[in-house]
Amino acid sequence: MKRVIVGGVGYPDLCDYSIGIEIQECLSKRAAPAQVVVEDLSYNPIAIIQRLGDEKDGERFARVVVVSAVRRGTRAAGTVSAYRWDGGMPSDEEIQRAVTDAVTGIIAVDNTLVIARYFGALPDEVVVVEVEPETHEFGASLSAGVAAAFDDACDIVWSCATDDDFVARLPVSALALTTSPGVRIG
Amino acid sequence: MCFKNLPVEFDASGKPFLREGVRDPYATATATPPEGPRQLTSEKIEELLRRNGHIKSLDFDPVTRVAGALAFHSVADFENRKILEARSVATLFRGYEVIMVGRDPRDAIFITSRACGVCGGVHSTCSALAIEMAIGCNPPPLGVLIRNLALALEFLYDHPLHLHLLAGPDYSQVIVEPTNPSLWARAKTTDARHTAIHGFRTIADLMTDLNPLTGKLYLEALHMTRVAREAYVLICGKYPHPQTIVPGGMSSTINLTVMNEMLVRLSQFFDYSKKLALIWDDITEFFYEANPEYKKVGARRANMIDTGIFDHPDAYDATYENADTWGNRRWATPGAIVDGKLVTTDLKKINMGLEEFVEHSYYEEWTGNGEQQHFGTDPSGNPLSPYHPWNKVTRPRPQGQNWKEKYTWDTTPRWDRQGMEAGCYARLWNTAVAQKMPENPFMESTGHSLKMRVPAGALPETQLEWHVPDVWNAFERNRGRAYCMAFTTLIAFNQWLAAMDRLKDGDTKTSTKFEIPKKGTQQGVGFWGAGRGYLTHHLTLDRGAVANYQILTPSTWNASPTDRWGQPGPYEEAVLNTPLLEETTDPEKFRGLDVLRAIRSFDPCMPCTTHIQSEGGLITREVNTCACGLDD
Repeated sequence: MKRVIVGGVGYPDLCDYSIGIEIQECLSKRAAPAQVVVEDLSYNPIAIIQRLGDEKDGERFARVVVVSAVRRGTRAAGTVSAYRWDGGMPSDEEIQRAVTDAVTGIIAVDNTLVIARYFGALPDEVVVVEVEPETHEFGASLSAGVAAAFDDACDIVWSCATDDDFVARLPVSALALTTSPGVRIG
Repeated sequence: MCFKNLPVEFDASGKPFLREGVRDPYATATATPPEGPRQLTSEKIEELLRRNGHIKSLDFDPVTRVAGALAFHSVADFENRKILEARSVATLFRGYEVIMVGRDPRDAIFITSRACGVCGGVHSTCSALAIEMAIGCNPPPLGVLIRNLALALEFLYDHPLHLHLLAGPDYSQVIVEPTNPSLWARAKTTDARHTAIHGFRTIADLMTDLNPLTGKLYLEALHMTRVAREAYVLICGKYPHPQTIVPGGMSSTINLTVMNEMLVRLSQFFDYSKKLALIWDDITEFFYEANPEYKKVGARRANMIDTGIFDHPDAYDATYENADTWGNRRWATPGAIVDGKLVTTDLKKINMGLEEFVEHSYYEEWTGNGEQQHFGTDPSGNPLSPYHPWNKVTRPRPQGQNWKEKYTWDTTPRWDRQGMEAGCYARLWNTAVAQKMPENPFMESTGHSLKMRVPAGALPETQLEWHVPDVWNAFERNRGRAYCMAFTTLIAFNQWLAAMDRLKDGDTKTSTKFEIPKKGTQQGVGFWGAGRGYLTHHLTLDRGAVANYQILTPSTWNASPTDRWGQPGPYEEAVLNTPLLEETTDPEKFRGLDVLRAIRSFDPCMPCTTHIQSEGGLITREVNTCACGLDD
């Protein structure tokens, strides 16, 4: 079996936007195969690439599974989407912006993956599990739609970590990237 | 006398008092506006824009390669290559002052840390100091030393990050070659002066390795942030939000293993700090020699404020009464500099001179309307303004943007009603001039410079000397920050050596027990510093809970808007003085590089300044620095 790392990405105590951490905490209590590592990846992406790079040669993770709240706005709250990241990268300017955000404290799944890919810290196989959030405010509770999806989301992430056939059937898709405007003259 | 504009005078014994015979001493309408550059009126700007094709607005929204959400509006005269209007816009609201009210003061250590995703530890420490003062709790010597060490390590994360990830790319080949081809041609034939230390033969070689994402200096800075972070978490448990900072010291366990692991990492900064200082010496001198007009980029009056940082364990007693004494024994001396002259190093005078205004900010005034001023004096009986942070009430009021009225979530802090700048370089300046630094084997303040003997690593022992500059501009800010690497490294090393002496004597106590009083009213202020300079937390307790909490960060000063006397904020003033030196004559190809150099040289940190998304904001992503959701 491949070595797999499963990581939740998000901020704690931010209602639906904490779902990645909530799922990671739930899964870390399950009996995982020896090759599956469940970790909180909600921290500076530069530190994450350094952490991934610390794995010994030949023992590096062959699959990274990340779970996070991602607002696309085109689906119902609580919708769970899993896909294999197509590896598509933004412009160098956007990557620079991602690094700036990373080292100054922003935690976002697209930043984490883009930076980790750019600096060669990711394996080819990256699976993203997105949960469409609804509430974005201080608090520990999930909205009704996201709470209802919680158990299914945990099972989907677990399948992504432990079931190669399940992963092979996932669609290949792009990340939901944020962009920033530039200079305006006139 | 350190105050020129406030109505405060001093008697023969040096005791301050309010000028006699003035009915409303802190009235703003009657105050004399300080001299300095002024914005043109909005009407004049609109007329110029209407009548001249070469005058155009130049907007940066957001300003990239800074921490957090900053927008900048300017109007540029492309024919005369100058800026006519400059407006600094903090687009988010920071709500910590509101969040803290009613809470147990100990919460401040963990909540205010979330104000920044880079330097959470400085906010935790500043709040711990404010609580210590309010409740009368003095940390043991080892607690003071370890606290100093922890925060020095945090700065060793912060400075390279700014120099080579945020500001550095503005001086890189990929930026300089297309914007200033003649400068790039010159760089290719200009030998670097300090090749023996940093290893770059020409300035072009150096610029190439400043390239973002691929340059060796960019990548090395990413690596060095790890080294600093690893050392920091040995003491603080977590980065960026420490778990071991408490009122009365540190809750860390300190032993020889921890100290040795720390030294392994700290010593890596000996060589790195030599390189950084001399790289930025070479860049600065190259630009000055290529075109002296670069001395005007980001130029402003040398008005600076700093609270000093890194306490001496024999001096610090956590009292307001003795703040002048223990402040002056800090490793970085406190100070207010006006027009390049150090006018005071007394923390109580620095505190007395503080005021915060909201004329152009999205807040309601808290004075007037018959409201009672909380504190007419500080705990030592010295006069305080109704606009002082201990008297301030945070009342956010979102509304439309209007340059004549309100246009930012940042407030307008002033000292003696002057626009002051904050930065780590103010530490260097104060310490160099004041000559109050504790005696030590590595550093000496000469009155006009700071000499630093950096120990050998792979490179030999090296003598660095930072000189108080003749001009104050973007280049000197960056150069100062680069020298702060050596300054901070040597302070950290001094703390490490002193802590080892304590351990050898069997002293392992790092904290003092305390209780939060449940009765009465107490005041405290944390005078500390962030990687970017000045930091204060002003605290009022009432029956054991926070009645008022006010944070003033470096970027609150630097990003502040034009004040009620028409005096621009520091970013604004620096941009108003910046010539447009890109070689293109086509405004469409213009990148605003020198404006950005001016702004970025301050190392803006907007999460500290403002934090929550506003309805009217233009932010394109949900911004939550730090692992928190504590800001609603």
